[in-house]
Order: sequence, then C-alpha cells, then structure tokens
Amino acid sequence: MSFAAVPQPAGPRLLSRRRLRVLALPPTVLLSFVIVAIVLLWALFPSLFTSHSPVTAVPTQKFLPISSAHWFGTDYLGRDNFTRVIYGTRSSVLNAFVAVGIGLLVGGVFGLLAGFLGGITDALIGRGVDVLLAIPGFLLAVVLVVSLGFNTINVAIATGITMTAIFARIMRAETLKIRQSVFVESSYLQGGSPLFVLFRHILPNAYRSVLALAVLQLGNAIIIIAAIAFLGYGSPPPASDWGLLISNGANYQQIAPWLIYCPAAVVVITVLSINRISRWLRNTN
Amino acid sequence: MSAISALGSETADPASGSHPPDDRIGVRSRRRYLLYALRRVIQAIFVIILAYVITFFVISVLGSNPIQTTLSSPQAGLDPSSIKKLEAYYGVNGSILHQLWLGLSRFLRGQLGTSLQYHLPVSKLILTALPYTLKLGGMALLISLLFACLLAYGSQRFPLAAGRSFIRSIPSFFLSVPNFVIGLLLIELFSFHFHTFDVLNPDNLVGTICAAFALAIPISAPLSEVLIANLDTEGAQEYALVARSRGLTEAKLFLRHLVKPSSVPAITMFAIIIGELMGGALITEEVFGRTGVGTVMYQAVTTGDAPVLQAVVALAAAVFVVANLIADLVAPLVDPRIELVGPRAAGGLVRGLGRGFQAGNLLGSR
Amino acid sequence: MATQHELAHSAPDAATSETLLGVEGLSVAYGDQQVVSDVSFTLGRGESLALIGESGSGKTTIARTVLRLLPKGARILGGRMDFDGREIAGISDRAFRPLRGAQLGFVPQDPGNALNPVRTIGVQAHETARLLKLKSRGEERERILETFAEVGLPDPKRIYRSHPHELSGGMLQRVLIGLAVMPRPSLIVADEPTSGLDVTIQKVVLDLFEELKRSLGLSLLFITHDLAIAAERADHLVVLKDGVVQEHGPSKSVFANPKSDYTRELQADVPAINPNRYRSIHLARNTAERNALGSQIEVRSVSKTFGDVVAVDDVSFAVQRGKTHALVGESGSGKTTTVRLLLGLEHADGGEIVVGDGVVNGHSRSQWRSVRRHLQLVYQNPFTSLDPTWRVGRIVREPLDRFGVGDKDERRERVAEAIRSVGLPEEMIARKPANLSGGQRQRVAIARALVMRPEVLVLDEPTSALDVTVQAEIIDLLFRLQSELGLTYLFVSHDLSLVRQLADTVSVLHDGRVVEQGTVEKIFANPENPYTQALLQAIPAVPRVDQSRRVLDPAPV
Repeated sequence: MSFAAVPQPAGPRLLSRRRLRVLALPPTVLLSFVIVAIVLLWALFPSLFTSHSPVTAVPTQKFLPISSAHWFGTDYLGRDNFTRVIYGTRSSVLNAFVAVGIGLLVGGVFGLLAGFLGGITDALIGRGVDVLLAIPGFLLAVVLVVSLGFNTINVAIATGITMTAIFARIMRAETLKIRQSVFVESSYLQGGSPLFVLFRHILPNAYRSVLALAVLQLGNAIIIIAAIAFLGYGSPPPASDWGLLISNGANYQQIAPWLIYCPAAVVVITVLSINRISRWLRNTN
Repeated sequence: MSAISALGSETADPASGSHPPDDRIGVRSRRRYLLYALRRVIQAIFVIILAYVITFFVISVLGSNPIQTTLSSPQAGLDPSSIKKLEAYYGVNGSILHQLWLGLSRFLRGQLGTSLQYHLPVSKLILTALPYTLKLGGMALLISLLFACLLAYGSQRFPLAAGRSFIRSIPSFFLSVPNFVIGLLLIELFSFHFHTFDVLNPDNLVGTICAAFALAIPISAPLSEVLIANLDTEGAQEYALVARSRGLTEAKLFLRHLVKPSSVPAITMFAIIIGELMGGALITEEVFGRTGVGTVMYQAVTTGDAPVLQAVVALAAAVFVVANLIADLVAPLVDPRIELVGPRAAGGLVRGLGRGFQAGNLLGSR
Repeated sequence: MATQHELAHSAPDAATSETLLGVEGLSVAYGDQQVVSDVSFTLGRGESLALIGESGSGKTTIARTVLRLLPKGARILGGRMDFDGREIAGISDRAFRPLRGAQLGFVPQDPGNALNPVRTIGVQAHETARLLKLKSRGEERERILETFAEVGLPDPKRIYRSHPHELSGGMLQRVLIGLAVMPRPSLIVADEPTSGLDVTIQKVVLDLFEELKRSLGLSLLFITHDLAIAAERADHLVVLKDGVVQEHGPSKSVFANPKSDYTRELQADVPAINPNRYRSIHLARNTAERNALGSQIEVRSVSKTFGDVVAVDDVSFAVQRGKTHALVGESGSGKTTTVRLLLGLEHADGGEIVVGDGVVNGHSRSQWRSVRRHLQLVYQNPFTSLDPTWRVGRIVREPLDRFGVGDKDERRERVAEAIRSVGLPEEMIARKPANLSGGQRQRVAIARALVMRPEVLVLDEPTSALDVTVQAEIIDLLFRLQSELGLTYLFVSHDLSLVRQLADTVSVLHDGRVVEQGTVEKIFANPENPYTQALLQAIPAVPRVDQSRRVLDPAPV
C-alpha cells in the first residue's frame, strides 16, 4: 500500500508556535477562567463575600429593588438576594462537579472496558448504554430524585447517572480508535502486556478528548440541577439553590422581577464561561 | 483512439474493492438492507423492554414501594376495599419480579395501569394531554430546525468574517440559558407587557409560540453545532476543491455538495433532539401553566402516582427508540458509504488486509 | 550563468511554442509565513512542465495559485501571472471563474477524496459537462460516456452510475482526468496525479496524460516530488526548495548538467536515477564466506486467508544472514500480510516459518514474546508508530522495560547508545514526537527497534512516507547499522528502484503468490515472469547517474 509523501513539520518552528498557543489565552477565555474562579470561591468560602445571612428574615426590608446596599435586591422575607445566591452556589455548582465526576468515572470505566475488551463485554455494555440513553435524561433524573429523596445531593447523583451513558460512548469510541493505532500494536511487539497497553498507552491518549467533554457537561449539569431545583425537587427552603431562587422569584414576577433575573444572570454567565473554556480546550487539542 | 484503448483495463486490478456484476448490485444491496432493518427493529424492541425494566427498578425498587405508600396515605381518600383491589391489581403483595412482569406485559399490550390520583386509566390521562404536548413539541422542533439551518448557513456564507464568528458562538450561548429562564422572560414580555396572552389561559397561538421558543432554543444548539462542524469538514474536503476547480460558485457548491453529506449526522441528531424535547416539555409546560403530558408527570410526582410516572417515562423511552430507529433506517439511504452494521459494529474497521481497505461505520460508535 | 529566462527560451524546440502560462516573481504567504518567494517560469502551448520539490517546497501552493484556489488565509504577495495573454493574478474571482474548468483544468492528488462520496459520478460529471453548453442533458450524457471511453475506462455506463467508493484508485483517477479534459482546456494542472497509485497503474495514467497531450495539444503543469517521473515525462523542469527556484530548464539539460547543488543532491538521492549508490557495499558483502552463513529466516509454503479473501497463497522464501531480502509488490500482493505472519501478528493457516533455529508459526503468546527479542519491526508511518504522549527516551526504552533487561542505569546507557547510533543528538531523549520531523521520528523508531540488539530487522516500507532526501539519509543509516551490527534485513517495498539499490535478494509478489525470486542482479537484468517485466517497465526510464556514496561513517543529522 503506497503512501503519499507527508509534509513534515520543521522542528523548531512548530515548537515555538505551540509554546505561544499555551501562554497567550484569548481574552474571553481568560475572563471565563476568572469568572469560574470567582464562582468556585463563592462555593467554598461564601462568608468571605458577604456579611448578611442567607436565612434570617428581615420583614421590614421586603422586596427592595437593586441598590448599592443590596446588589440583587431583597426577597419576600427581606433577605439579601445576593447573599442567597452566594450561599446557594455550593449546592448548585459543587454538586455539578459531583455529577460530572460520577458520569466520568463510571461511564469512563465502562467505556474503556467496552472498547478494550470488545466482544461480549462490549455488546453488553453497549446495550446498557443504549437503554440508559433511551430514557430522556431529564425525566430519568426526575424519577431518580423522586425515589431517592428531595435533596441536592440526590439531584447530583441522579444527574451523574444520566451522564454515564454519554461518557461511556465517547470513551469507547476513543478507546477503539486508539486500540487500532500502530503504536499500540508496536507496544505488543515490544513485549507489552494488554494491561500495560491499556493503562500506559490507551488511557493517556484517550482522556484528552473526554476532558473537553467533561467541561462541557459541567455547564450542562449546572443547568439540569437548576432545572430540577426549579421544579422544587431539590433541597427544600430555606436552601437557596439557584434554581429554587428563580422558582421562588417567579411567584413574585410582577412585583420583584429582580428575584428572577439576578440569579438567572448568574447561571447564564457561569455556564457561558464554562462553555467558553470547553470550546477553547477542544480547539487547542 | 487505439493507443488509449491499448492502455489496458483495470477490471482485474487487485487494488480495487469488490466489483459486483451490474445486474446483481441492486438485488444484493436491497437484501442486505432488509436484513439490516430487521436486525435494528429487533434491537429496538429489546431496548424498549429494558428501558421499562430500568424505569420500574428506579421507581418501584429504589423508591421503596411507592404504590403501597400512596394508596394507604389519607390524601388518596380511598376506602379499604378499593385499596385492596388496587393492591391486587398491581401485585403489591407479591414479589418484585412478579410486579415487574405484570407491569411489563401490560405495557406491551398497551395497558398502562390506573392513576392512583384520578382513578382513571393512565392511557386516558396521557391521550387527553398528548395533543397539547404534540402541538408544543412539533412547533419547537420546527423552530429549532429553522434556527439550526439559519445558523449553519450563516456560519458559512455570512459576508463578514466577524459576523461568521459571532454566529458560530450563538449555539454556545443558547446552551447557557436554561429554558425556564427564557420562558419566564417571554412571559414577562408577551404576557405582562404586551398582553398577547394570559398566563391563566396560555393555549392560544402566541402563548404556544412563546412556549415553543423557550423549548426550542437550548435544543437547537447541538443541532446547529453538528451542522456547522460538518459543513466545515465537508467544505475543506478535497472534492470541494475539485468542484470549485470546475468553475462552481460557492452557493452552488453549498447546495449541491455540502448539504447531503453533512445531513447524515444531523439525521442522527434529530432523533436525539426528540429525546431532549420530551425532557424539556416537562419544565416548559409547568412554567407556562399549560396542559400536557409534562404537567401530568409533574402532578404524578407531587402525588406519588407511581403508575403514571412509570408509563410516561417508559413511553418517552419508546418514542426515543423509535425515532432513533427511523434515523438508522434513513441514514444509509442518504449516504451510500455507510456500512449496514448494527450500532455495535463488530470491529467497525476492517483491518488493512494489505489491500488498503477500510470499511467504517461513519456514524461512529452509535 | 544563464538566467532563468534565457534557459527557458534557449531550448531548441521552443521555437514552435508560444507561451501559454507565464509566471513572474510570484510570492505567496500563508498568514505571516512566506511559502513561495519570487518564482518565475513559463510554459508553452502543447508542452509539459514539472514543478519538482519535496515537502515545503511550495509546489502545491504555486499550482493552487495558478488556479486561484488558495485557501483562506493565503494571499499573493507579489508577482504576475499571465495566461493566454491575460493577466490573471490580480483580477477578481468573478472575472477568473469562467476560466476555471473551461480553460484551466485540475487533476488532484487523491482520487479517492476528489469526488463527492454521496453522489454518483454521472451527476458530478454533468457539472463539468455544463461548461460545454450543449443543448440537452442527453447530449451531455453522451459526451460524458465518450470521454470515459477516451480515457480507457471499460464499461462507461457502469461508471456513470457508480458512486466514487465503488471504483479503484486508478479508475477514479482516470475519471478525473476525463472530467478535466472534457471541456478541452488549454492547460491542465495535475497535483501529484500518481502518488498513491500502484506503480503499474502510475504508468497507465502517465501514458494517458502523454497521449492526451499529443492528440489534444494540451499543456500540462505537473506537480510532483518524484524526480524520476518528471525527468522521464516532462519537457521542462522547475526544481523548488523552500519556495525558491533552484533550477529551471528543459529536462534533458537540467539532467545532463545540473547547475544547482540541490538538483545534484536530488539526483544522487533518487533511487531510480542512482541505482548503484551502494554497489561497493553489495560487492563487499558478496564473498563466499558471507554467503555460506546460511539462512536466518525461512518461510515455507505459508498461506493465509481472511474470510473469502486469499491474502497469502503458498509463499516461500529465505533470508540469508547478514543480507537484505526484499519483498516487492503492489497493493494487494500480500507482502504486508506475509510480514505480519512472520512477526506473529497474524496466525498462518498453513505452512512453516523458521526464525533462527526454531519453527515459530504455532507459537503461543508467551513463546512469541521470546522470539520478539530478536525480531523487531520498523513501521511505515513514523507519524503513527510512536505514542504521542510519551517522550523519546521512554519510547526507545520501552522494549528494555517490558523485557526486563538490565537495571535502570544500564537501560539509560543503552538508550543513549541507540539514539547516538541513529545519528540523533542526545537532547532528543527528552522531546516528544510531535516536535520531530518525519525523518527524525523514523530514526527514533529504528533506535527503538535496535535497542534490544535483535538479529533481524523487518522494515515495512520505512521510507515511503518521507521525502526523497530524507529517505536517502535513512537508507544510508540502515546500511551503516547493518555492517556495524551484522543485522539481517527483511525489507518490504513497492518501490522497485529502491529495492534495486538496497537489496541483495528479492521476492516479487502478486495476488498473494511469489511470481519470481532471486538475486537482485538476475531479476533486474533478466526478469522471466510477465508481471515482473511489467513492474520493471513501469520504472521511469531516465538517464542514470553514478554516484557511489561513502555511508559507513556516522552520518550527521
């Protein structure tokens, strides 16, 4: 089988181009990282950012609009909305990490096994993935939460379970592709065992594209968790999940619209930033 | 021209793929297609059954006897003999497997059980609500298709490079906004400000369109991205270059050559979108206060109406499987390169036999 | 020293040609990187000109520029192009488009990708036929079928109905040539039209070009990296390196009297032109005592079938110790499968394979493992045979690690030794393959194959993915290593001229069978089998150059 002459990248030129790419982040990506960092800090150290309490009612200050004292206004119990958003970040965002973690680990392992072992294992896992994908993700998450109990951890677990299917698919595809590569076969010729090849050749090459997907799914998880909380299936009040905040706010849409739009804006900006980072990861791969 | 004809033929060229005789091409591929279709249908049935089982497991096993709990709670307002009858119907006192068997065999026959809340057959509940959801879903599908096509076309043909860049980032933006937020915004605008529909009675045209928009926007995003990505790769392919070298204009190139190969992944995505629509309908119907299957499900969650939950979710899965089946059956007709193998292609790539041959399932690992 | 213009117009047969295409001072850049600098040449009516160069020479860019089909991000920095008396570099795309297809045809490199895979050939042929402005679709169809017959395609109606993936590479290329020629353009630009095709099919396609040039008075602009083909088929040559013209003139004079160092280097490096490059080494090896060493590998009546495809059918050959044996064949000949059987990557259905002293074909996986200490493989594609996430040092060390040879320090020392012996600097050990060129990567692959100090090295087309100058360096390296380490080589190739340079003995395979084998001298001087004869006839007939090389000193990188 003859092979056409392949253009060769000249050594030094390519090296410097690669170096430049890593250092010079596009400005939107940089901004996205900053935003995500802030959000993570909100989740981990909420008291650093606000001195109000997210739960104590202050009836005299009900429904105050946006002002310098209350950046997001106050709600129907007079609580500072900005504080509530910050305290709600933990369950809205960190749980998204839990969800993606579950999906990545469980789905990733199954996908790796399916792609590597092939045969019956692949057929069985494949069937399982097909079935899991057949049930619309959101509906599956809802019935899971209904059965497990209404709190955000369960929402995270439920979301994670619905994500295993897509991670399994991607991991399987990557594993199959890499398994066919020449350097894998070459490793066998050099005395490598199947286990060695799996962990030292296939996995290191497979995880890169899965990583970009994981970041994307993080944003997706935030939205799904918010949606389930919006329906009221997350932790009950006085919890301040972003979704729950928006749902509460909807009750007062005509008198205090900021109760909806401020948390909504936070959701949108956070997820936008995460999506930007995911796109950047995909492009630099 | 004798010199040229003397250059010899290549019918015996070992480098070629198979050379089936003319008359047998049609018959052979038709037969292969029918076998493939049969295989896919059987797999689909199998998946539907398994989906039912898993749903049952989640609702009734993980949820620790929801039927019993709901029936005996005072809110149900049932007298002891009705409770006993319903318990017997659902086999609550038997083993879990027995309950599963009862539910599954009835499901396959079209009997979906009785709602614990309304004391009506579940199928009746669903059928009454279905038309509203279909209307909403259908409109949303059209809108998302429209959006996706517009964005895809714009990403390639919009005159300014900055504009094209902006258009490409729109799907990502759509993915970042939850559909309930869009819904609330649209309600604010069109109901509270413009008074074009009333939240208490949202089934008129404008209300439906707004709900459809809210549902469609996040869903159009993956479809747009797939279309754009495919147009990009197809446009860069060698044959696009060769077609241009024949004097084809960009517009004709787009229509004649790029659309068809890009459409296969889109057909696949379509099926996935139908799944997303069903999930999104739940929230959208709630936000807009509309009647529909989504609201039925929402009610069922609130009252712990397990048979309804089971039926709705299992049906949704069935719809998704059928949509995928249709996509799998249509795709090979559009792209003749696609190998007629099941979604679990054994191997997928035929190893190079020294003949430089690759038979790949272009839909990837489906 | 004659200027380019003088060279172009001083050839005796230039009197009949008027200039069809004139390029002057052309410079093109991709982004901020200049890829073509101040290139000038002229092409007359009814003549053929070859742009020769290795990768990065800018030849493809020039071809695309002539057709005004540069990708986004590329722009013409300066110069002019005149086609048929009209200036074409500066005019708008709209003004240029009527020329494309009608006056300027294009035949691409990879026929497999050159047609829309989801539409039939007939439908796409009509797009070209539209340029003829015939009265009806029926007339277009007739003309298309006529064209297919003109280019020697059997059963034009079936081709009309087929999809591209149903035809072989050679047939597709002829379809493309037919489509390019149908509107009777005055110039056809052919971008590496034969690379990727089997050697016998290459000859068919090139003969077709010549016939069309003669009968239709076409001018041809060839892009190729193959100096031998260019020297045989083109009237004029332009030799390019890094976007700059090295030399320009009629083929005969460029060949007889190369004026630039680069052209001379190319002549020395191209196997078809310099077949006796390693003659002295071969002679030195051919002593009685070397020949008495016996065989290292013996393959006896080996067969392998995949499904209903017979890949290898009763193949037998022997490889002498310390020598190089070549397996030659086109695609589908079974040479790759045979080699994979030898390495235990496939199981033979029948026959025996003897490596060293023992029979290996029935071995279990652990038995194969011990055989592989002495039998290593260098793959064809250096871009895929190295794990991109590993560093070079670890790649070369892998066999030592897996086979548990020596301790950490010993392994490090052996890796360093292997890297040095393939002519790479020790800094390479810390780099990743992505930053290396094709030639460097292949050296790493060779180092990895040698670090276990095997007795036999199997090389599966190790240079077909590399430029010809790089190929020459690698072959030099292989010879040096062979004489230093006493290696036995089994070399698989489709390139007969390379085999003639490189091998001592050769087996010619066709359709899974050995059709002829023997020493290189005998086969090339006196081929008996018609297939072997056809293969030899396909080697371009070019004036040979005799440049023996001293290769036994370590070559600098």
